[in-house]
Amino acid sequence: MKIVGKKFPRKAISVLFVGLNRLISAFLAIFLVCSLAGCGPPSGSGAASPALKTFHFAMDQAPTTLDPVQGANIYANFVIVNAYDTLYSYQYLARPYLLKPNLAVDFPTVSADGLIYTFRLKKGVRFIDDPCFPGGRGREVVAEDFIYSIKRQFDPENQPQGAWLWQGRITGLDEWKAAGSDYAQPVSGLRAIDEHTLEIRLTRPYPQLTATLAQGYSALVPREAVEKYGKGLGVRPVGSGPFRLVSYDTARVVMERNPNYRQEPVDLAAEGYNPATQKFSGVEAIQGRSPPFIDRLEFNFINESSASWSSFTKGDEVQLTVLPIEQIDRVLASKRPVTLRPEYAAKYHVYGGLEAGFVFTAFNMDYPEFGYNPDPERERRNQALRCAMLKGYDWEARNHSWYFGLGEYFPGIIVPASPEFDPALSRASVTRDVAGARKLLKDNGWTPDNLPTIVYGTTAGTTERLFFEQFRAWMRDIGFPRAKVVQKTYANFGDISRAWKRSQLPLVAKGWGLDYPDAENTLQLFYGPNASPGSNDANWKNPEYDRLYEESSVLQPSPERTALYHRMNQIVLDDCVAITGISRTRIYLWHKNVIAVPDREILGGFWLKYVDLKPEPANIPALVKGG
Amino acid sequence: MNAVTLPLTAPNRASGESLWHKAARKFGRDRLGMLALGVVLAYFLVALGAWLGWWAGGWADLTGTKWEPVSSAHWFGTNIIGQDIFDRAVFSTATAFEVGLSVALAATFIGAVFGAFAGFFVGSWIDEFLLWCMGVLDAIPFYLFVAAVAYALTDNPWAMQVAMIATFWVGTGRLIRGEVIKLRGMEYVEAAHSIGVSELAIIFRHILPNTGHILLVQASITFVSAIKAEVILSFLGLGIKDGMSWGLMIDESTKEVLAGFYNNFLAASLLMFGLVMAFNAVADALQDALDPRKVG
Amino acid sequence: MEILQYALRKLLAGLPLIFGVTLVSFALMVYFGPDMTYQLLGKNPTPEQILEVRHQLGYDQPFLQRYLGFLREIVTFNFGESSTGEPVTALLAKTIPVSLILILPGFILGHVVGLLLALAAAYWRGRWPDKLIMAIAVIGMSVSFLIVIIGFQIVLSSSDGLDLFPVRGWNASSLGSYLSYVTVPTLATMFVALGYDTRFYRSVIVEEMTRDHVRTARAFGLPESRILLRNILKNCLIPFITRVMFSIPQVAIGGALLIESYFGIPGIGKATYEAIVTGDQPVLKAVVSLTAILFVLVVILNDVLYRVVDPRVTLK
Repeated sequence: MKIVGKKFPRKAISVLFVGLNRLISAFLAIFLVCSLAGCGPPSGSGAASPALKTFHFAMDQAPTTLDPVQGANIYANFVIVNAYDTLYSYQYLARPYLLKPNLAVDFPTVSADGLIYTFRLKKGVRFIDDPCFPGGRGREVVAEDFIYSIKRQFDPENQPQGAWLWQGRITGLDEWKAAGSDYAQPVSGLRAIDEHTLEIRLTRPYPQLTATLAQGYSALVPREAVEKYGKGLGVRPVGSGPFRLVSYDTARVVMERNPNYRQEPVDLAAEGYNPATQKFSGVEAIQGRSPPFIDRLEFNFINESSASWSSFTKGDEVQLTVLPIEQIDRVLASKRPVTLRPEYAAKYHVYGGLEAGFVFTAFNMDYPEFGYNPDPERERRNQALRCAMLKGYDWEARNHSWYFGLGEYFPGIIVPASPEFDPALSRASVTRDVAGARKLLKDNGWTPDNLPTIVYGTTAGTTERLFFEQFRAWMRDIGFPRAKVVQKTYANFGDISRAWKRSQLPLVAKGWGLDYPDAENTLQLFYGPNASPGSNDANWKNPEYDRLYEESSVLQPSPERTALYHRMNQIVLDDCVAITGISRTRIYLWHKNVIAVPDREILGGFWLKYVDLKPEPANIPALVKGG
Repeated sequence: MNAVTLPLTAPNRASGESLWHKAARKFGRDRLGMLALGVVLAYFLVALGAWLGWWAGGWADLTGTKWEPVSSAHWFGTNIIGQDIFDRAVFSTATAFEVGLSVALAATFIGAVFGAFAGFFVGSWIDEFLLWCMGVLDAIPFYLFVAAVAYALTDNPWAMQVAMIATFWVGTGRLIRGEVIKLRGMEYVEAAHSIGVSELAIIFRHILPNTGHILLVQASITFVSAIKAEVILSFLGLGIKDGMSWGLMIDESTKEVLAGFYNNFLAASLLMFGLVMAFNAVADALQDALDPRKVG
Repeated sequence: MEILQYALRKLLAGLPLIFGVTLVSFALMVYFGPDMTYQLLGKNPTPEQILEVRHQLGYDQPFLQRYLGFLREIVTFNFGESSTGEPVTALLAKTIPVSLILILPGFILGHVVGLLLALAAAYWRGRWPDKLIMAIAVIGMSVSFLIVIIGFQIVLSSSDGLDLFPVRGWNASSLGSYLSYVTVPTLATMFVALGYDTRFYRSVIVEEMTRDHVRTARAFGLPESRILLRNILKNCLIPFITRVMFSIPQVAIGGALLIESYFGIPGIGKATYEAIVTGDQPVLKAVVSLTAILFVLVVILNDVLYRVVDPRVTLK
């Protein structure tokens, strides 16, 4: 694409056929490079012998690091929970999601005041063999490893991302960090009573504590590995999980079975198996056997959904993919329930799961144009403006265009995947009412001339731009002039996060994935003290809401707590502080020789160790075609 | 990656007027060139209409439902959110001219001025400095440079154009520098010197006008490069910020083509192909017409 | 010996260029580039955590200090670790060979086929094969690379098309699988490069054909094909070499970007683009300095090759 104009010296007497020589040497160079680097290590599917069971699957993004201390996203978690152990995990097949002990022997014993938790760890669990251990042999996992791993989240050197889960909750931990994060110093709230018994003391009751110990952030990392590899731990996990890493780059992660993984036969009943809906998958075949069942696990990171689909339908590449939304009409025979057209049903299994999370658009109340305003009258009109915009928003159309009608839009901020979801709530706030919106604007003195300009921030991308164009068209329907709804794009997620965290964006359109199945995880998004740079990007501060939140946050799950949640949800709705929301349905397709019930919610890959492959002829590693 | 070299030598200065005259005559006889020029003008009229609001004003409206097929109401069907693809493709023509013209004019102007200065003061520190600038810009891979500029200028709507101008002027600059080195040795320049005409005046009045044939061809090549670069930059998320372009349409289509919906892809890529092809042909014809060694 | 001395002198003369490239790229990509802070923060950060991360990343240091630190890294060739924790040098060692073996076949074939087509066009200059080849070249120049990639992928690799080659993954563990993965990218690169290359080579050859010594040779009755090979082609070598050499830096890092992101190949282009997008500064710094050094090396190599091709070119 560059325009280069050059002047060339003209007279030249040449050696004949220099060109040919150059050609030959160039070819030699290729093969030299090829044999020296790049082609050496056995990283490809072609390198795997056919006797090995290899499971390939597609994900849309690569993790940026595999260190649990920064395991913020689902992509990193997919690998982390398979390379490392966490104290708790989720039952393979139970929906809604239910916790189960993983490295812990059982659920913790909790003191009567809810402040002291005691955990027992399984004995004889070993880290994988690695040069960081004396003699290269993995040592036993002990309670101190857990304490060390949590401390890492409070050491700024590590740029930790999970500290918010325990900040201000565990006795002495914040003080430990303030004193300089010296690992030699103890933390009063984290104590190893013996090698396999752990005690956590809390500053106040924290009913979600056990669930946070299922997250990748809390994975047990051996100190020897951190000391040997430092930041290199991000590309070289040393854990005690079912798999160990073979290779990691931006295109794929390859893991192989951890041969020393503890023997724990599967009890399908304890995994929440529901024969009525899950029998088709063949999971009964794993009953009584100890995972992992496959030898190699290959994560393929494919951004372009079309490329991922092509790869899946070829038959010998990825064996599991999320169905790209643009293929839905071609592939599905019906949407509710999700069934395949016959030509696809013959080859693939399908499973539709609602995401444990939602997408919503919040008004940043810091902006006086439509949020808080020193003038109480204007503030009242602003509320009417927000409510009118809610009425103008077309959830039905959004669901149809972008999710093929498969999403589930709902009022409020308690998502359907939360146990506290209220299906009986009025759907008025998610039902489009253009006439009502126009009337509301008119009654409150809003005209095309005095309506404020709405800045809609997105990351750069086609889908995001179309979201905006759709939003602008809806707002024009209720009376906004085209010039008053404008888009502001950000190069990447980091840049838009910065705008959110600095309260520099009037409209915050974002998604939130549940960290644990408890509505508290989404309700905290509107808790006043969480205002920017915290997770309350709306910067909404409602004293009544905050009081209810604090009251509910120390309660164990109970109808009483659910009632509080519902009241909080209603306050958010009444103040029209967010246009909310939709949970998307993800449809998974996988080849019939794969025995699995896939998922990617909450934790990501906790189910991968249960995947098995039928020894069918279809299961051949990628063969060279046409070459 | 795609270098374009112009085998142009110095014009016959004495017949400066007749060079253009002759070129116009030669161009007029080039049937393919004239046809291509007609096509370019037709595109330009389409763009003009979009600018003046005669048509394609509804490119942002939701006038239909999702992925409607071709019909009398929607000549190219509708896109995923129900916008009219024909309107969007037509509106994109205006965008293409905006991008192409702004980048071509600015890059050619900068290249001409810097190239002339470097050539006129050849060997001096000005020349060294400008050559160093060109070397630096040549050494940074194009897409990385554009991505970096786009991110550095964050939400500036001109980020993409600025990045293209900053790289595209170099080619023109080098050509003009070479040409000016030749011209400065000519008698008329020395004569101007001797009667005390200022150096600036010599450069702008006496030398640059004599490089017009190179500038015209370079501008047309830059125009094409800009339109093509826009498509790729839009795919990489670095393109047009507000508005509609063929690049954005093709980017939209990357997810649709395997679902069997080709309207966006075909509308944008065919329209773009037509304009780029015609412009390439015009550039070729211009080059032929302006080449003084060719008998006409 | 003379050549070695010359090369060293050139290398010294190339230092300002390296300085310029690093300064511009540093300012653009690193200093004003994306801020990684907010990608490294947890979901619910506090202002103190933001400051901690900025400090960890060195964002709180002044420009000059950061730039000098960068120069030190270039001299010692130690760029630290990328945001994944992988040493940058290891990342480069892993990705650059992939890009090279991905891009080289298309690069070489593009030039070779382009040259052959140009020879054919020049041989039948003004007659129909010339017109046909040039028309195809203009078409090739007018199609966007992106459209070519999408089109080729649909036709050659998808189950809706011929389904001949794999779509995803990259596996060069054996020659067979390497060839099957590299074919579609190679065809796409070739298709796009051919138009430009053919035109370029033809214009150089045609210009050479009109020279006096060629006319003289013709007047002596030498066969046309012999004139083409002996008198014309060898005189075109210098522009050819320049063209090939100067496209190397572009191809090595920039050219692979689109193909790598579309086909999901873990090469240097994709790694660099991702580093720009996420603000992974250690990787960016390494790529920027590598590019600058590569460019200077190409300039030197180009001059040395002139000398090899034409002993009368003096190395001043």
